Amino acid sequence: MAAYAHPEVLVSTDWVAEHLNDTEHVRIVESDEDVLLYETGHIPNAVKIDWVQDLQDPIVRDYISKERFEELCASRGIANDTLVVFYGDKNNWWACYAFWVFKLFGHEKCAIMDGGRQKWIAEGRPLTREVPSFPRTTYRAKAPDPSIRAFREEVLAHMRAGKPLIDVRTPAEYRGELTHMPDYPQEGALRAGHIPGAKNVPWSMAVREDGTFKPREELERIYLREKGLKPDDEVITYCRIGERSSHTWFVLKYLLGFEHVKNYDGSWTEWGNLVGVPIEKGDPEAAQS
Amino acid sequence: MRKLDALLELFQEAEPAERLELLLDFAERLPPLPPEYVPLRDAGLGMVHECQSPVFFLPEVQDGRVRIYADVPREAPTPRAFTAMLVEAFDGEPPEVVLEAPEDLLYRLGIAPLLGMQRLRGLTAIYQKLRREVAEKAGLSANPR
Repeated sequence: MAAYAHPEVLVSTDWVAEHLNDTEHVRIVESDEDVLLYETGHIPNAVKIDWVQDLQDPIVRDYISKERFEELCASRGIANDTLVVFYGDKNNWWACYAFWVFKLFGHEKCAIMDGGRQKWIAEGRPLTREVPSFPRTTYRAKAPDPSIRAFREEVLAHMRAGKPLIDVRTPAEYRGELTHMPDYPQEGALRAGHIPGAKNVPWSMAVREDGTFKPREELERIYLREKGLKPDDEVITYCRIGERSSHTWFVLKYLLGFEHVKNYDGSWTEWGNLVGVPIEKGDPEAAQS
Repeated sequence: MRKLDALLELFQEAEPAERLELLLDFAERLPPLPPEYVPLRDAGLGMVHECQSPVFFLPEVQDGRVRIYADVPREAPTPRAFTAMLVEAFDGEPPEVVLEAPEDLLYRLGIAPLLGMQRLRGLTAIYQKLRREVAEKAGLSANPR
């Protein structure tokens, strides 16, 4: 991990195994796509943060307020100086998403357990169904940090300026072949394709078979040499709802050291439905898959 | 009482937090896939492509009864639980019971809010596959009313 730009944001399963009882300084957080997975068994002393129930406002399409974030942290025994270590299913998509939301509210010490749930289980490490509870804290969050989150007007200006956009969905989604999702009107977008000028780098290209992140030189080959990004570029990542793209945001910002990278969490569910914005179909740039 | 009504009653009477526990119970109750279906699963048949997990779900109609053969990995407890619920509600019933069941089953069960809109896609796809294939195999049309 030492070769990464910010190696301190990745910890190994060994590290977690050694620190899971250091509950005064470290809080392990499981964040999964599947809402029941934590209940089937989790790392001892890990708490659950659900990306829908805990992080999203039920009324406004947005994240919870600063006050609710403070309450969330307080209730999980997370203090301002706690090191929060996230892990989860599906190659840490939702762990990265939760990490991003914590960064949005200015939490300083965040890390991802490399390899996530999959690696922990593959190594035969213990799981428990016991739900821990920790003393409440008083938590003070910061106002949401606009330097890591892009909104639609900004994405439009970014696109018009020809600055780099990374679409991390599958090539078929990127090309606009998945135009039609019968029976699922609640999730559809009225246009299929991608934001004009966006390059396609499916999020999965950043991970290895065992769920761990690829080494820095391989990530540099993909994002820098093949896609032509430069570490001082202003980059915006997006996917369908912003979860897979927070994974790529993490890779660019922390593993490769990009200074100016934002996640567009409105992503395709917003862009593909926005009145008056252009899309692009087909594929000069789609990744080979 | 139809088995589906019993299921609806069970979920509707539960508090939201208890619904997660009920789901967890169901996730543990999915019957094992009969061995003769394992090769079909391994060949990729019956996959629900909208699910983010490898969900095998094959509804059939045999002698005028619905049969559901399914396998969902333990790492995906929510689709596994929902599949087990569909087995419990519909396996062994006449096809009409599936086709007359409410389209908005996930909402009526009260589990849609637990999952949030973004997570419903896979489960909706499983349910639609059930309705579509049962209609096709029974020579009926979905939503007769």
